[in-house]
Amino acid sequence: MHLHDLTIKKFHQGLLNKEFSALEITQDFFNWIEKKDQEIGAYLSLNKDLAVRQAEEADLKIAKNEPVSLLAGVPLAVKDNLLIDGLPATAASKILKDYTASYDATVIKKLKSSGAVFLGKTNMDEFAMGSSTENSAFQQTKNPHDLTRVPGGSSGGSAAAVAAHLAVAALGSDTGGSVRQPAAFCGVAGLKPTYGAVSRFGLIAMASSLDQIGPFAKTVEDAAILFKEIAGRDAMDSTSSPQADSYGEELFNPKLEDIRKLKVGIPKEYFAGGLEKEMGAKIDEVVKAIKSLGLEIKAISLPHTKYALSCYYIIMPAEVSSNLERFDGLRYGTRQKADSLLELYKKNREAGFGEEAKRRIFLGTFVLSAGYYDAYYAKAQKVRRLIKLDFDEAFQDVDVILTPVTPTPAFKIGEKTADPLSMYLSDIFTIPANLAGLPAVAIPIKAKAGLPVGFQLIGKPWREADILGIGQYYEKL
Amino acid sequence: MLTKEDLEHLAELARIELKEKEEKKLQKDLSSILDYFQELQKVNTENIKPMTGGTDLVSVVREDFLGKTDDTGKGPEAFPEQERGFLRVPPIF
Repeated sequence: MHLHDLTIKKFHQGLLNKEFSALEITQDFFNWIEKKDQEIGAYLSLNKDLAVRQAEEADLKIAKNEPVSLLAGVPLAVKDNLLIDGLPATAASKILKDYTASYDATVIKKLKSSGAVFLGKTNMDEFAMGSSTENSAFQQTKNPHDLTRVPGGSSGGSAAAVAAHLAVAALGSDTGGSVRQPAAFCGVAGLKPTYGAVSRFGLIAMASSLDQIGPFAKTVEDAAILFKEIAGRDAMDSTSSPQADSYGEELFNPKLEDIRKLKVGIPKEYFAGGLEKEMGAKIDEVVKAIKSLGLEIKAISLPHTKYALSCYYIIMPAEVSSNLERFDGLRYGTRQKADSLLELYKKNREAGFGEEAKRRIFLGTFVLSAGYYDAYYAKAQKVRRLIKLDFDEAFQDVDVILTPVTPTPAFKIGEKTADPLSMYLSDIFTIPANLAGLPAVAIPIKAKAGLPVGFQLIGKPWREADILGIGQYYEKL
Repeated sequence: MLTKEDLEHLAELARIELKEKEEKKLQKDLSSILDYFQELQKVNTENIKPMTGGTDLVSVVREDFLGKTDDTGKGPEAFPEQERGFLRVPPIF
Protein backbone atom coordinates (compact mmCIF):
# COMPACT_ATOMS: atom_id res chain seq x y z
CA MET A 1 0.00 0.00 0.00
CA HIS A 2 1.36 3.38 -0.99
CA LEU A 3 1.34 6.05 1.73
CA HIS A 4 -0.30 8.48 -0.70
CA ASP A 5 -3.38 6.30 -0.89
CA LEU A 6 -3.81 5.81 2.83
CA THR A 7 -6.88 7.13 4.56
CA ILE A 8 -8.00 6.11 8.05
CA LYS A 9 -10.68 3.96 6.45
CA LYS A 10 -8.29 2.20 4.03
CA PHE A 11 -5.63 1.78 6.70
CA HIS A 12 -8.15 0.09 8.98
CA GLN A 13 -9.31 -2.30 6.27
CA GLY A 14 -5.74 -3.11 5.26
CA LEU A 15 -4.82 -3.76 8.87
CA LEU A 16 -7.79 -6.09 9.43
CA ASN A 17 -7.07 -7.94 6.17
CA LYS A 18 -3.42 -8.28 7.25
CA GLU A 19 -2.21 -6.59 4.04
CA PHE A 20 0.37 -4.82 6.22
CA SER A 21 1.18 -4.27 9.87
CA ALA A 22 0.89 -1.00 11.76
CA LEU A 23 4.60 -1.21 12.46
CA GLU A 24 5.50 -1.49 8.76
CA ILE A 25 3.39 1.54 7.89
CA THR A 26 4.76 3.53 10.83
CA GLN A 27 8.30 2.80 9.69
CA ASP A 28 7.39 3.70 6.11
CA PHE A 29 6.13 7.03 7.38
CA PHE A 30 9.34 7.73 9.29
CA ASN A 31 11.38 6.87 6.18
CA TRP A 32 9.25 9.16 4.04
CA ILE A 33 9.40 11.95 6.66
CA GLU A 34 13.17 11.70 6.74
CA LYS A 35 13.29 12.27 3.00
CA LYS A 36 10.40 14.61 2.33
CA ASP A 37 10.20 16.73 5.45
CA GLN A 38 13.56 18.32 4.72
CA GLU A 39 11.79 20.40 2.10
CA ILE A 40 8.39 20.76 3.84
CA GLY A 41 9.42 21.39 7.45
CA ALA A 42 6.13 20.14 8.91
CA TYR A 43 7.51 18.46 12.02
CA LEU A 44 9.25 20.12 14.96
CA SER A 45 10.01 16.83 16.70
CA LEU A 46 9.56 13.14 15.96
CA ASN A 47 8.43 10.47 18.36
CA LYS A 48 9.99 7.28 17.02
CA ASP A 49 10.28 5.25 20.24
CA LEU A 50 6.74 5.70 21.48
CA ALA A 51 5.30 5.45 17.96
CA VAL A 52 6.94 2.06 17.39
CA ARG A 53 5.60 0.78 20.71
CA GLN A 54 2.11 2.06 19.92
CA ALA A 55 2.20 0.40 16.49
CA GLU A 56 3.37 -2.90 17.99
CA GLU A 57 0.52 -2.82 20.48
CA ALA A 58 -1.98 -2.37 17.66
CA ASP A 59 -0.40 -5.25 15.74
CA LEU A 60 -0.55 -7.48 18.80
CA LYS A 61 -4.28 -6.89 19.14
CA ILE A 62 -4.82 -7.70 15.48
CA ALA A 63 -2.73 -10.86 15.82
CA LYS A 64 -4.88 -11.97 18.76
CA ASN A 65 -8.06 -11.12 16.84
CA GLU A 66 -9.09 -8.68 19.56
CA PRO A 67 -11.58 -5.98 18.59
CA VAL A 68 -9.84 -2.73 17.64
CA SER A 69 -11.10 0.79 17.02
CA LEU A 70 -11.04 2.51 13.63
CA LEU A 71 -8.04 4.50 14.85
CA ALA A 72 -5.95 1.51 15.96
CA GLY A 73 -2.41 1.81 14.62
CA VAL A 74 -3.24 4.92 12.56
CA PRO A 75 -0.17 7.20 12.29
CA LEU A 76 -1.12 10.75 13.25
CA ALA A 77 0.63 14.12 13.52
CA VAL A 78 -0.10 16.40 16.47
CA LYS A 79 0.20 20.18 16.66
CA ASP A 80 2.90 21.25 19.09
CA ASN A 81 0.51 23.09 21.42
CA LEU A 82 -1.08 19.78 22.50
CA LEU A 83 0.53 17.93 25.38
CA ILE A 84 1.74 14.34 25.05
CA ASP A 85 3.28 13.06 28.28
CA GLY A 86 7.07 12.92 28.01
CA LEU A 87 7.32 14.70 24.65
CA PRO A 88 8.30 18.29 23.91
CA ALA A 89 5.46 20.83 23.66
CA THR A 90 6.93 24.13 22.54
CA ALA A 91 3.92 25.82 20.92
CA ALA A 92 6.71 26.94 18.53
CA SER A 93 7.85 29.49 21.12
CA LYS A 94 11.35 30.09 22.42
CA ILE A 95 9.87 30.50 25.89
CA LEU A 96 8.91 26.78 25.86
CA LYS A 97 11.92 25.57 23.90
CA ASP A 98 13.04 23.08 26.55
CA TYR A 99 9.63 22.19 27.96
CA THR A 100 8.58 18.55 28.17
CA ALA A 101 4.89 17.83 28.78
CA SER A 102 4.16 16.18 32.10
CA TYR A 103 0.72 14.83 31.22
CA ASP A 104 -1.53 13.88 28.29
CA ALA A 105 -4.13 16.26 26.88
CA THR A 106 -7.60 14.70 27.04
CA VAL A 107 -7.70 14.28 23.24
CA ILE A 108 -4.35 12.45 23.43
CA LYS A 109 -5.60 10.22 26.23
CA LYS A 110 -8.64 9.34 24.13
CA LEU A 111 -6.56 8.61 21.03
CA LYS A 112 -4.09 6.55 23.04
CA SER A 113 -6.91 4.37 24.30
CA SER A 114 -8.12 3.99 20.69
CA GLY A 115 -4.64 2.73 19.83
CA ALA A 116 -3.57 5.58 17.51
CA VAL A 117 0.13 6.17 16.79
CA PHE A 118 1.71 9.63 17.23
CA LEU A 119 4.48 10.22 14.70
CA GLY A 120 5.53 13.61 16.05
CA LYS A 121 4.69 17.20 16.86
CA THR A 122 4.05 19.71 14.11
CA ASN A 123 5.11 23.27 13.46
CA MET A 124 2.74 26.19 14.02
CA ASP A 125 2.65 29.93 14.51
CA GLU A 126 3.96 30.73 17.99
CA PHE A 127 1.18 30.00 20.51
CA ALA A 128 -1.16 29.57 17.49
CA MET A 129 -0.94 33.26 16.65
CA GLY A 130 -0.78 33.69 12.92
CA SER A 131 -2.16 32.68 9.57
CA SER A 132 0.92 31.40 7.78
CA THR A 133 3.12 29.46 10.26
CA GLU A 134 5.74 32.17 9.61
CA ASN A 135 5.55 33.14 13.30
CA SER A 136 7.16 29.88 14.43
CA ALA A 137 10.31 30.60 16.43
CA PHE A 138 11.98 27.54 14.92
CA GLN A 139 11.34 26.92 11.22
CA GLN A 140 9.37 27.78 8.11
CA THR A 141 6.87 25.19 6.95
CA LYS A 142 6.23 25.22 3.20
CA ASN A 143 3.08 24.51 1.25
CA PRO A 144 3.47 21.05 -0.32
CA HIS A 145 1.66 22.28 -3.46
CA ASP A 146 4.10 25.15 -4.02
CA LEU A 147 7.20 25.44 -1.87
CA THR A 148 7.38 29.22 -2.31
CA ARG A 149 4.02 29.60 -0.56
CA VAL A 150 2.86 29.39 3.05
CA PRO A 151 0.87 26.37 4.28
CA GLY A 152 -1.48 28.71 6.12
CA GLY A 153 -1.71 28.84 9.86
CA SER A 154 -1.60 28.58 12.65
CA SER A 155 -1.76 24.77 12.31
CA GLY A 156 0.37 24.88 9.14
CA GLY A 157 2.58 21.96 10.13
CA SER A 158 -0.37 19.59 10.64
CA ALA A 159 -2.02 20.65 7.36
CA ALA A 160 1.23 20.27 5.40
CA ALA A 161 1.94 16.91 7.05
CA VAL A 162 -1.38 15.48 5.84
CA ALA A 163 -1.07 17.07 2.39
CA ALA A 164 2.47 15.75 1.89
CA HIS A 165 1.50 12.27 3.16
CA LEU A 166 3.73 12.62 6.21
CA ALA A 167 0.81 11.37 8.36
CA VAL A 168 -2.58 9.78 7.67
CA ALA A 169 -4.38 12.53 9.58
CA ALA A 170 -3.55 15.16 12.18
CA LEU A 171 -4.78 17.30 15.04
CA GLY A 172 -4.72 21.08 15.12
CA SER A 173 -6.43 23.84 17.04
CA ASP A 174 -8.70 26.54 15.64
CA THR A 175 -9.22 29.91 17.34
CA GLY A 176 -10.08 32.07 14.32
CA GLY A 177 -9.53 29.65 11.44
CA SER A 178 -6.28 27.91 12.38
CA VAL A 179 -7.52 24.50 11.22
CA ARG A 180 -9.75 25.55 8.30
CA GLN A 181 -7.49 28.12 6.64
CA PRO A 182 -4.38 25.87 6.44
CA ALA A 183 -6.62 22.95 5.40
CA ALA A 184 -7.90 25.05 2.48
CA PHE A 185 -4.38 26.24 1.54
CA CYS A 186 -3.02 22.68 1.59
CA GLY A 187 -6.00 20.96 -0.05
CA VAL A 188 -7.14 18.78 2.85
CA ALA A 189 -10.27 18.63 5.01
CA GLY A 190 -10.27 20.41 8.38
CA LEU A 191 -12.97 20.69 11.04
CA LYS A 192 -13.52 23.28 13.78
CA PRO A 193 -16.03 21.62 16.13
CA THR A 194 -18.82 23.32 18.09
CA TYR A 195 -17.36 25.19 21.05
CA GLY A 196 -17.52 22.73 23.96
CA ALA A 197 -17.52 19.58 21.81
CA VAL A 198 -13.87 18.71 22.39
CA SER A 199 -12.06 19.11 25.70
CA ARG A 200 -9.36 21.78 25.72
CA PHE A 201 -7.57 20.19 28.67
CA GLY A 202 -3.90 19.89 27.73
CA LEU A 203 -4.14 22.39 24.87
CA ILE A 204 -1.83 25.35 25.51
CA ALA A 205 -4.47 28.06 25.73
CA MET A 206 -4.51 30.99 23.35
CA ALA A 207 -8.01 32.52 23.58
CA SER A 208 -10.10 30.26 25.77
CA SER A 209 -13.56 31.39 24.64
CA LEU A 210 -12.66 30.64 21.01
CA ASP A 211 -10.18 27.73 20.98
CA GLN A 212 -11.28 24.29 19.78
CA ILE A 213 -9.18 21.28 18.84
CA GLY A 214 -10.03 19.82 15.45
CA PRO A 215 -8.94 17.16 12.95
CA PHE A 216 -7.16 17.39 9.58
CA ALA A 217 -7.66 14.53 7.14
CA LYS A 218 -7.47 13.60 3.48
CA THR A 219 -11.21 13.00 3.32
CA VAL A 220 -14.21 14.49 5.10
CA GLU A 221 -15.10 10.97 6.18
CA ASP A 222 -11.74 10.61 7.95
CA ALA A 223 -12.18 13.99 9.62
CA ALA A 224 -15.56 12.76 10.89
CA ILE A 225 -14.04 9.54 12.24
CA LEU A 226 -11.28 11.41 14.06
CA PHE A 227 -13.71 14.00 15.40
CA LYS A 228 -16.01 11.33 16.83
CA GLU A 229 -13.03 9.85 18.66
CA ILE A 230 -11.91 13.09 20.35
CA ALA A 231 -15.32 14.62 21.17
CA GLY A 232 -16.93 14.30 24.59
CA ARG A 233 -17.61 15.99 27.89
CA ASP A 234 -14.57 16.15 30.14
CA ALA A 235 -14.55 16.98 33.84
CA MET A 236 -11.16 18.65 33.30
CA ASP A 237 -12.63 21.31 30.99
CA SER A 238 -15.63 23.07 32.47
CA THR A 239 -16.57 24.52 29.06
CA SER A 240 -16.92 21.08 27.50
CA SER A 241 -20.62 20.34 27.26
CA PRO A 242 -22.67 17.27 28.23
CA GLN A 243 -24.07 17.47 24.68
CA ALA A 244 -20.64 16.49 23.43
CA ASP A 245 -21.39 12.91 24.52
CA SER A 246 -24.33 12.52 22.16
CA TYR A 247 -22.56 12.34 18.78
CA GLY A 248 -23.43 9.22 16.84
CA GLU A 249 -22.32 7.28 13.78
CA GLU A 250 -24.35 9.58 11.50
CA LEU A 251 -21.14 11.66 11.55
CA PHE A 252 -19.44 9.23 9.18
CA ASN A 253 -22.41 7.21 7.93
CA PRO A 254 -24.71 9.98 6.70
CA LYS A 255 -27.91 8.98 4.91
CA LEU A 256 -28.56 10.75 1.62
CA GLU A 257 -32.27 11.06 2.37
CA ASP A 258 -31.43 13.06 5.52
CA ILE A 259 -28.80 15.19 3.80
CA ARG A 260 -31.20 16.02 0.96
CA LYS A 261 -33.61 17.62 3.42
CA LEU A 262 -31.05 20.23 4.49
CA LYS A 263 -31.36 23.82 3.33
CA VAL A 264 -28.12 25.59 2.49
CA GLY A 265 -27.80 29.37 2.92
CA ILE A 266 -25.41 31.57 0.93
CA PRO A 267 -24.68 34.78 2.89
CA LYS A 268 -24.33 37.72 0.51
CA GLU A 269 -21.90 39.54 2.82
CA TYR A 270 -19.20 36.92 2.17
CA PHE A 271 -19.23 37.75 -1.52
CA ALA A 272 -19.13 41.54 -1.24
CA GLY A 273 -15.75 42.89 -2.34
CA GLY A 274 -12.36 41.40 -1.57
CA LEU A 275 -13.24 38.05 -3.13
CA GLU A 276 -11.22 37.11 -6.19
CA LYS A 277 -13.29 36.47 -9.30
CA GLU A 278 -11.80 33.03 -9.65
CA MET A 279 -12.78 32.15 -6.09
CA GLY A 280 -16.35 33.29 -6.75
CA ALA A 281 -16.53 31.07 -9.83
CA LYS A 282 -15.24 28.08 -7.87
CA ILE A 283 -17.84 28.59 -5.15
CA ASP A 284 -20.51 28.71 -7.87
CA GLU A 285 -19.33 25.28 -9.05
CA VAL A 286 -19.64 23.93 -5.51
CA VAL A 287 -23.15 25.37 -5.16
CA LYS A 288 -24.14 23.65 -8.42
CA ALA A 289 -22.69 20.36 -7.22
CA ILE A 290 -24.56 20.56 -3.93
CA LYS A 291 -27.77 21.47 -5.72
CA SER A 292 -27.32 18.38 -7.87
CA LEU A 293 -27.46 16.28 -4.70
CA GLY A 294 -30.98 17.60 -4.21
CA LEU A 295 -30.41 20.22 -1.52
CA GLU A 296 -32.23 23.52 -1.55
CA ILE A 297 -30.06 26.67 -1.79
CA LYS A 298 -31.19 30.01 -0.37
CA ALA A 299 -29.72 33.51 -0.28
CA ILE A 300 -29.36 34.78 3.29
CA SER A 301 -27.90 37.76 5.09
CA LEU A 302 -25.53 37.96 8.08
CA PRO A 303 -25.44 41.76 8.41
CA HIS A 304 -22.74 42.08 11.08
CA THR A 305 -20.18 39.97 9.21
CA LYS A 306 -17.98 42.92 8.33
CA TYR A 307 -17.42 43.70 12.02
CA ALA A 308 -16.26 40.20 12.88
CA LEU A 309 -12.59 40.89 12.21
CA SER A 310 -12.39 43.92 14.53
CA CYS A 311 -14.45 42.13 17.14
CA TYR A 312 -12.15 39.11 17.02
CA TYR A 313 -8.92 41.11 17.08
CA ILE A 314 -10.07 42.75 20.33
CA ILE A 315 -11.47 39.73 22.17
CA MET A 316 -8.73 37.29 21.15
CA PRO A 317 -5.71 39.47 22.18
CA ALA A 318 -7.50 40.32 25.45
CA GLU A 319 -7.67 36.62 26.26
CA VAL A 320 -4.14 36.08 24.92
CA SER A 321 -2.71 38.74 27.20
CA SER A 322 -4.17 37.04 30.25
CA ASN A 323 -3.51 33.42 29.14
CA LEU A 324 0.13 34.19 28.40
CA GLU A 325 0.71 35.73 31.82
CA ARG A 326 1.68 32.26 33.01
CA PHE A 327 4.76 32.27 30.82
CA ASP A 328 7.07 34.11 33.16
CA GLY A 329 10.09 31.86 32.65
CA LEU A 330 9.93 30.70 36.26
CA ARG A 331 8.33 27.31 35.90
CA TYR A 332 9.18 26.23 32.39
CA GLY A 333 11.68 26.94 29.69
CA THR A 334 14.87 28.90 29.87
CA ARG A 335 15.53 31.41 32.59
CA GLN A 336 17.39 34.69 32.03
CA LYS A 337 19.71 36.10 34.72
CA ALA A 338 18.17 38.85 36.85
CA ASP A 339 18.50 40.39 40.31
CA SER A 340 14.83 40.77 41.15
CA LEU A 341 11.64 38.95 40.33
CA LEU A 342 10.18 41.85 38.34
CA GLU A 343 13.31 42.16 36.25
CA LEU A 344 13.28 38.41 35.68
CA TYR A 345 9.71 38.50 34.34
CA LYS A 346 10.49 41.34 31.98
CA LYS A 347 13.69 39.80 30.67
CA ASN A 348 12.22 36.33 30.23
CA ARG A 349 9.20 37.59 28.39
CA GLU A 350 11.23 39.96 26.23
CA ALA A 351 13.57 37.17 25.18
CA GLY A 352 10.98 34.39 25.02
CA PHE A 353 8.13 35.86 22.98
CA GLY A 354 8.31 36.60 19.26
CA GLU A 355 7.07 39.72 17.51
CA GLU A 356 3.45 38.67 16.92
CA ALA A 357 3.01 37.27 20.42
CA LYS A 358 4.26 40.56 21.84
CA ARG A 359 2.05 42.57 19.51
CA ARG A 360 -1.04 40.67 20.68
CA ILE A 361 -0.07 40.86 24.35
CA PHE A 362 0.30 44.63 24.03
CA LEU A 363 -2.96 44.91 22.11
CA GLY A 364 -4.81 42.80 24.66
CA THR A 365 -3.31 44.71 27.56
CA PHE A 366 -4.42 47.95 25.90
CA VAL A 367 -8.05 46.96 25.26
CA LEU A 368 -8.38 45.72 28.83
CA SER A 369 -6.69 48.70 30.47
CA ALA A 370 -8.49 51.35 32.51
CA GLY A 371 -10.05 54.00 30.30
CA TYR A 372 -10.22 51.82 27.19
CA TYR A 373 -12.07 48.74 28.44
CA ASP A 374 -15.57 49.99 27.59
CA ALA A 375 -14.70 51.47 24.21
CA TYR A 376 -12.91 48.33 23.03
CA TYR A 377 -13.37 45.14 25.01
CA ALA A 378 -16.93 45.66 26.27
CA LYS A 379 -17.98 46.98 22.86
CA ALA A 380 -16.48 43.97 21.10
CA GLN A 381 -18.35 41.59 23.43
CA LYS A 382 -21.62 43.26 22.45
CA VAL A 383 -20.79 43.07 18.76
CA ARG A 384 -19.94 39.41 19.31
CA ARG A 385 -23.49 38.91 20.57
CA LEU A 386 -24.87 40.60 17.43
CA ILE A 387 -22.81 38.29 15.24
CA LYS A 388 -24.15 35.30 17.15
CA LEU A 389 -27.74 36.61 16.80
CA ASP A 390 -27.24 36.96 13.02
CA PHE A 391 -26.48 33.24 12.87
CA ASP A 392 -29.38 32.32 15.20
CA GLU A 393 -31.72 34.15 12.88
CA ALA A 394 -30.25 32.65 9.71
CA PHE A 395 -30.59 29.16 11.18
CA GLN A 396 -34.35 29.71 11.49
CA ASP A 397 -34.38 29.54 7.70
CA VAL A 398 -31.51 27.27 6.74
CA ASP A 399 -29.59 24.35 8.28
CA VAL A 400 -26.14 24.99 6.87
CA ILE A 401 -24.27 28.06 5.61
CA LEU A 402 -21.86 27.84 2.67
CA THR A 403 -18.97 30.30 2.19
CA PRO A 404 -15.40 30.35 0.87
CA VAL A 405 -12.73 29.48 3.48
CA THR A 406 -10.33 32.22 2.35
CA PRO A 407 -10.47 35.15 -0.08
CA THR A 408 -7.46 33.81 -2.05
CA PRO A 409 -5.33 30.66 -2.40
CA ALA A 410 -2.09 30.35 -0.36
CA PHE A 411 0.04 33.50 -0.52
CA LYS A 412 3.80 33.71 -0.95
CA ILE A 413 6.17 33.28 1.98
CA GLY A 414 7.04 36.77 3.25
CA GLU A 415 4.18 38.44 1.35
CA LYS A 416 2.23 39.59 4.40
CA THR A 417 4.74 39.58 7.26
CA ALA A 418 5.48 43.32 7.13
CA ASP A 419 1.85 44.36 7.58
CA PRO A 420 0.03 42.55 10.41
CA LEU A 421 -3.37 43.89 9.37
CA SER A 422 -3.11 42.34 5.90
CA MET A 423 -2.25 39.03 7.55
CA TYR A 424 -5.26 39.32 9.88
CA LEU A 425 -7.56 39.86 6.88
CA SER A 426 -6.80 36.35 5.59
CA ASP A 427 -9.01 34.97 8.41
CA ILE A 428 -12.00 37.08 7.51
CA PHE A 429 -14.31 34.18 6.52
CA THR A 430 -13.35 31.78 9.29
CA ILE A 431 -13.54 34.07 12.34
CA PRO A 432 -17.36 34.39 12.61
CA ALA A 433 -17.83 30.66 13.39
CA ASN A 434 -15.42 30.96 16.33
CA LEU A 435 -17.10 34.07 17.68
CA ALA A 436 -20.48 32.31 17.52
CA GLY A 437 -19.14 28.94 18.74
CA LEU A 438 -20.42 27.10 15.65
CA PRO A 439 -19.04 23.99 13.93
CA ALA A 440 -17.43 24.67 10.54
CA VAL A 441 -15.57 22.50 8.10
CA ALA A 442 -13.16 23.36 5.28
CA ILE A 443 -13.47 21.07 2.28
CA PRO A 444 -11.14 21.11 -0.76
CA ILE A 445 -12.86 22.27 -3.94
CA LYS A 446 -12.42 19.75 -6.73
CA ALA A 447 -10.15 21.04 -9.45
CA LYS A 448 -7.92 19.56 -12.13
CA ALA A 449 -5.03 21.95 -11.62
CA GLY A 450 -3.86 25.02 -9.76
CA LEU A 451 -3.41 25.83 -6.09
CA PRO A 452 -5.96 24.24 -3.77
CA VAL A 453 -8.81 26.30 -2.33
CA GLY A 454 -11.67 25.27 -0.10
CA PHE A 455 -15.28 25.93 0.71
CA GLN A 456 -16.63 26.22 4.19
CA LEU A 457 -19.82 24.77 5.63
CA ILE A 458 -20.98 26.28 8.92
CA GLY A 459 -23.55 24.29 10.89
CA LYS A 460 -25.92 24.73 13.80
CA PRO A 461 -24.40 24.01 17.21
CA TRP A 462 -23.88 20.24 17.71
CA ARG A 463 -24.82 19.55 14.08
CA GLU A 464 -21.39 18.53 12.78
CA ALA A 465 -23.30 15.65 11.16
CA ASP A 466 -24.98 18.09 8.73
CA ILE A 467 -21.82 19.79 7.48
CA LEU A 468 -19.74 16.60 7.46
CA GLY A 469 -22.60 14.73 5.78
CA ILE A 470 -22.87 17.21 2.90
CA GLY A 471 -19.08 17.15 2.64
CA GLN A 472 -19.00 13.38 2.35
CA TYR A 473 -21.57 13.36 -0.45
CA TYR A 474 -19.78 16.21 -2.26
CA GLU A 475 -16.60 14.16 -2.05
CA LYS A 476 -18.30 11.17 -3.71
CA LEU A 477 -19.62 13.19 -6.68
CA MET B 1 -1.97 57.47 17.80
CA LEU B 2 -0.42 55.54 20.63
CA THR B 3 2.30 57.61 22.34
CA LYS B 4 5.70 56.42 23.52
CA GLU B 5 4.48 56.86 27.10
CA ASP B 6 1.38 54.75 26.41
CA LEU B 7 3.58 52.01 25.06
CA GLU B 8 5.92 52.13 28.06
CA HIS B 9 2.94 51.91 30.38
CA LEU B 10 1.63 48.85 28.52
CA ALA B 11 5.07 47.25 28.67
CA GLU B 12 5.05 47.74 32.43
CA LEU B 13 1.58 46.18 32.75
CA ALA B 14 2.49 43.28 30.45
CA ARG B 15 5.85 42.68 32.18
CA ILE B 16 7.76 42.81 28.93
CA GLU B 17 11.01 44.74 28.59
CA LEU B 18 10.74 47.11 25.66
CA LYS B 19 13.70 47.29 23.31
CA GLU B 20 14.17 50.62 21.61
CA LYS B 21 14.40 49.14 18.14
CA GLU B 22 11.03 47.38 18.58
CA GLU B 23 9.29 50.46 19.93
CA LYS B 24 8.71 52.37 16.69
CA LYS B 25 7.37 49.35 14.78
CA LEU B 26 5.11 48.37 17.65
CA GLN B 27 3.80 51.90 17.98
CA LYS B 28 3.01 52.06 14.28
CA ASP B 29 1.43 48.59 14.10
CA LEU B 30 -0.73 49.01 17.19
CA SER B 31 -1.90 52.45 16.09
CA SER B 32 -3.03 51.23 12.69
CA ILE B 33 -4.78 48.21 14.20
CA LEU B 34 -6.55 50.40 16.77
CA ASP B 35 -7.62 52.75 13.96
CA TYR B 36 -9.17 49.82 12.14
CA PHE B 37 -11.20 48.98 15.29
CA GLN B 38 -12.89 52.39 15.08
CA GLU B 39 -15.46 50.87 12.71
CA LEU B 40 -17.04 49.15 15.74
CA GLN B 41 -18.14 52.53 17.07
CA LYS B 42 -20.61 52.66 14.17
CA VAL B 43 -22.45 49.58 15.42
CA ASN B 44 -25.52 50.26 17.51
CA THR B 45 -25.18 48.06 20.60
CA GLU B 46 -27.79 49.71 22.76
CA ASN B 47 -29.52 47.15 25.02
CA ILE B 48 -27.29 44.34 23.70
CA LYS B 49 -26.05 41.94 26.35
CA PRO B 50 -22.31 41.34 26.04
CA MET B 51 -21.30 37.81 25.06
CA THR B 52 -18.72 37.03 27.69
CA GLY B 53 -17.63 33.56 26.66
CA GLY B 54 -17.97 30.76 24.18
CA THR B 55 -20.66 28.83 26.01
CA ASP B 56 -24.04 29.30 27.62
CA LEU B 57 -23.24 26.72 30.29
CA VAL B 58 -23.63 28.07 33.80
CA SER B 59 -21.12 27.58 36.54
CA VAL B 60 -21.65 24.47 38.62
CA VAL B 61 -20.88 24.25 42.30
CA ARG B 62 -19.42 21.16 43.87
CA GLU B 63 -18.71 20.19 47.46
CA ASP B 64 -15.29 21.11 48.75
CA PHE B 65 -13.36 18.22 50.13
CA LEU B 66 -10.39 18.19 52.41
CA GLY B 67 -7.42 16.02 51.59
CA LYS B 68 -3.71 15.80 52.23
CA THR B 69 -1.09 14.96 49.65
CA ASP B 70 2.55 15.63 48.96
CA ASP B 71 2.25 14.49 45.37
CA THR B 72 3.26 17.46 43.22
CA GLY B 73 3.07 15.44 40.02
CA LYS B 74 5.76 15.79 37.39
CA GLY B 75 5.45 19.58 37.24
CA PRO B 76 8.52 20.40 39.34
CA GLU B 77 10.74 18.38 36.98
CA ALA B 78 10.24 21.14 34.41
CA PHE B 79 11.36 23.92 36.78
CA PRO B 80 14.51 25.62 35.48
CA GLU B 81 15.68 26.07 39.10
CA GLN B 82 14.39 24.10 42.05
CA GLU B 83 15.24 23.01 45.55
CA ARG B 84 13.71 19.91 47.18
CA GLY B 85 10.81 20.02 44.77
CA PHE B 86 10.16 23.70 45.41
CA LEU B 87 10.44 26.42 42.80
CA ARG B 88 13.43 28.71 43.34
CA VAL B 89 12.88 32.37 42.46
CA PRO B 90 15.03 35.49 42.85
CA PRO B 91 14.25 37.88 45.73
CA ILE B 92 10.94 39.69 45.36
CA PHE B 93 12.26 42.99 46.74
